[in-house]
Amino acid sequence: MPKETDTSKLLRLKRYEQPPSSYFDDFLFEFRRRQRAEMHQRSTREILWDRMMSLAPSFRVPQFAYAAIVALAVTASVFIVTQKPTGGNALASAHSEILQPALSLTSKPVTISDTLPAAARVGGSLSSHYVLQPRPVSNEQPLSF
Amino acid sequence: MEDAPETPDAELVARTQAGDPEAFDVLVVRYSPRLYGLVYHMTSNHEDTNDLLQDVFAKAFRSIKGFQGKSSFYTWMHSIAVNMSINFLKKRGRRHTMSLDDVDAGVQNDPEFIEATTGTDPRHAANLTELQQRLNEAMQKLSHEHKAVVTMFDIQGMPHAEIAKILRVSEGTVRSRLFYAHRQLQNHLEEFIKP
Repeated sequence: MPKETDTSKLLRLKRYEQPPSSYFDDFLFEFRRRQRAEMHQRSTREILWDRMMSLAPSFRVPQFAYAAIVALAVTASVFIVTQKPTGGNALASAHSEILQPALSLTSKPVTISDTLPAAARVGGSLSSHYVLQPRPVSNEQPLSF
Repeated sequence: MEDAPETPDAELVARTQAGDPEAFDVLVVRYSPRLYGLVYHMTSNHEDTNDLLQDVFAKAFRSIKGFQGKSSFYTWMHSIAVNMSINFLKKRGRRHTMSLDDVDAGVQNDPEFIEATTGTDPRHAANLTELQQRLNEAMQKLSHEHKAVVTMFDIQGMPHAEIAKILRVSEGTVRSRLFYAHRQLQNHLEEFIKP
């Protein structure tokens, strides 16, 4: 097994792998060019954000203020989400009544017998006084004089 | 751009933070050769190194207002370069490209190189190009983290403590990574090393 120092000697040979010295002059030129291009490409929003960030330290907002704001926002959100509406059922039933149509085209027509007292309809003993024909009201001819 | 070695990094950083981009240009000139070596020996490709190093300095320039001087600028820049190189290598995956054509021919006249590759055993009169190729292949087989440690310690000659600061690990971790990496490398380079 070779000695560790021999490995180190071989590795140190890699320090000679350097580009020509003129490379670093070009490198700085290229760096400046990229910096300028980056500045031109930056959007207005980014520039505005950077300016705000540069002003932020001057406000001297304590660190705990940010935590307090976040905690307040979370508490408010939880309160709103968990809040149950009061009298909600009554409101819902009233709403459904409003939407319910007064008459449906498919429903059974109302007849004179339907207007009789329940006792008369079941027993039939009093029907001769009230009903001549069980015709639907909707089928009766309009009165004419 | 004239480098100003007498101007401390901290002063150039402060001037950059105050909005003087030319101060940062001095830092680019000062650090680009060293960081080029670091990035190149991790990627083994000059084109990738060029693009990545541009990104490293661009990131440093954007982030320099947040640099508080808790570590040296030297350490801070090396941390950015190492982290971006490791992220790049993870994205690049298995695509290994080696650019050995750019290897400095002067290496063949270097006394250290001659001493390391000559001996009584005929195996040591090896083809120099093959040695360079094997060296790069061996490096590419290391993990990214081991490659970073080997690059900084063996190639760039940085002390353990400085590497530990850059990688934000203990010195013990640096030493153990080096030990493991050397063992791996020895297996690949055994025929080129004198017994």
